Amino acid sequence: MSKVISEKFSRERIFSRIRSSKQTPVELPDVPLYSIPGDPVENFIARLEGFDGKAVRFGSRAQALAWLLENIDLKGRVVYSAISDFNGNLQPESVADPHAAHVIDVCVAQGLMGVGETGSVWVTDESLGGAACALFSTDLYLLLDSRKVVDGIHTAYSQLDIRKAAYGSFFTGPSATADIEAVHITGAQGEISLTVLLYDK
Amino acid sequence: MSQVNQVKLGAKFIADTPHRQSHDRCLWAARMRRDSVASHIPEWEEMRELASQIKKHTLTHLDEYLEMFERNLLANGVHVHWAETAEEHNRIVYEIFRTHGVKVVTKGKSMLMDECGMREYLDERGIDVYEADLGERIQQLDRQRPSHIVMPAIHKLRGDVARLFAEKLGSDPDIDDPTYLNSVMRRDMRKNYIKVDAGMNGVNFGIAETGGIVVCTNEGNADISANVPPLFVASMGIEKLIPRQSDLALFIRLLSRSALGLDITQYTSHYHGPREGQEMHLVIVDNGRSERLCAPYWEVLKCIRCGACMNTCPVFRRTSGLSYDAPYMGPIGIILEPSYDLHRYARLPYSCTHCGSCGDVCPVKMPIPEYVFYWRDTIVNSGQDEMIHRLEEDGMELVLRSASSLSKAEKLGLWALRSLPQGLLKSGLNPWAKWHANPEPPAETFRQYYARKRKEARKPDSNSQTPD
Repeated sequence: MSKVISEKFSRERIFSRIRSSKQTPVELPDVPLYSIPGDPVENFIARLEGFDGKAVRFGSRAQALAWLLENIDLKGRVVYSAISDFNGNLQPESVADPHAAHVIDVCVAQGLMGVGETGSVWVTDESLGGAACALFSTDLYLLLDSRKVVDGIHTAYSQLDIRKAAYGSFFTGPSATADIEAVHITGAQGEISLTVLLYDK
Repeated sequence: MSQVNQVKLGAKFIADTPHRQSHDRCLWAARMRRDSVASHIPEWEEMRELASQIKKHTLTHLDEYLEMFERNLLANGVHVHWAETAEEHNRIVYEIFRTHGVKVVTKGKSMLMDECGMREYLDERGIDVYEADLGERIQQLDRQRPSHIVMPAIHKLRGDVARLFAEKLGSDPDIDDPTYLNSVMRRDMRKNYIKVDAGMNGVNFGIAETGGIVVCTNEGNADISANVPPLFVASMGIEKLIPRQSDLALFIRLLSRSALGLDITQYTSHYHGPREGQEMHLVIVDNGRSERLCAPYWEVLKCIRCGACMNTCPVFRRTSGLSYDAPYMGPIGIILEPSYDLHRYARLPYSCTHCGSCGDVCPVKMPIPEYVFYWRDTIVNSGQDEMIHRLEEDGMELVLRSASSLSKAEKLGLWALRSLPQGLLKSGLNPWAKWHANPEPPAETFRQYYARKRKEARKPDSNSQTPD
């Protein structure tokens, strides 16, 4: 059971000072559902590539999975799958403690929604089979139903129930940094490559 | 504490041409990218206005939203702590760690934790805190503050980082390629993640209606810190709240575009409670914010810490963040820091050219230039100012009081520029001339020019009907 922990009367003092503020109250405006022009899937692919992610399009999910089998080099690599129709070589029990996920080379998981405006994929701790598995992997593959790609951020938030997931995130390309002389480097501390497998049915 | 002399500290950076040029170039590039991405969004200016309104609404109903936020956090299984001061924040965090037997902590970027001096507090008590963001880690290893709120080590050159990593992390001192330096960091942090007991993060947005927090980062370190260890502690200022999930769309669209000119951060992550088997704590911090809410400059609380004002500021770009010797630097720093310590930061509001660019790029429309004047006024009235600034203000008042005094001053200035020797104009008596060349004196003052043109226009044989 979670609880409020507050020393002495800190909480009360903070609230009482806030209530003593005499600033004129401002109305809460409505935020329009701004839409993004263009084809959401085409925008998605272009933006994702702008963030150094890769997108591959398939007619069906079965074709996407077949491509994975052909293209992932399994030899000597630790492959973790968070989807039921693709087999990795690491059992989910072995990463019950997320610290152990650092051995993962390849992670395959389901993306739940795509955003055309930014090239982002919505994932949750559940869809990733534990967020640490995706974050510690070198190569991350996300499957995504192209019908789940929306035009922009406003639409995305109007459809998602972000409260449902303990961890929910928009992943946009692999991890990156520009902290040294603003030089853009792909592959910082999270996954080094991100491939989104888009399928139409 | 002694007064921070930004002019003096900044002069050292200005004299260091390679560092200054690289710094200026990196920040200006971010500013240009910001302009470019904003220009592709037709509703950009409307979004800034809406974001400002939403922040003002939340701040003028902050008690209600904080109560709603607390209720929903608890329902999501998050432990909630309230800290009135920086010291209390640090004590709370240390107590959580002490009772859980925590030894190793990895943390994402947090301006608030820097503001509280938390890392030093925990260090002294035997807890190893590893900054997990590359720029923050560089600054931690170099025992310096972050010099920018989004790019903490942007004042450094790659060679500086190569030398630092060689000394502290045992990398090859002769390789200064940023890709190599990044891989050194990645390998080193992996060692820490494997044994991490607790993760920490700052917060970009708290959502009252859902009881969740949002953390926007690029490197993956913040998400690893939150998702790997069995304990996750986040800290958030009371002003980071927004009412609804639908408001979040607006702020996410504005944040990274304003900061770096990128459409979004690589990880835009939402936390609504602990994962199975984890414990999650949120420390909600005041540390002077509720007092600021009652002050004339209360809109500083709208700030979403994007750094756009720094990237555009001509003073900041040439002097770098360390010259402000404060947790917050650049335009936001010079209007925020005096509210923490008026004496120590009394000179900061003078590090401004009044170009107004910071106010123009601010995604939540903070009236930064107005607040600079507010602080100068407050500082002059409190007697914390330097004599030169008072003379400046009194002089301006004398000159600008009437049209005739301005006219006289113009003529005097023109005479001085034409007739006085350069040596006198560039003497220590005129600090302005230290960094500026004097302009070519024009043939006449603007008023003289205007009067002449009017006279010419009135002549019947003149070709032009109006002054050109």
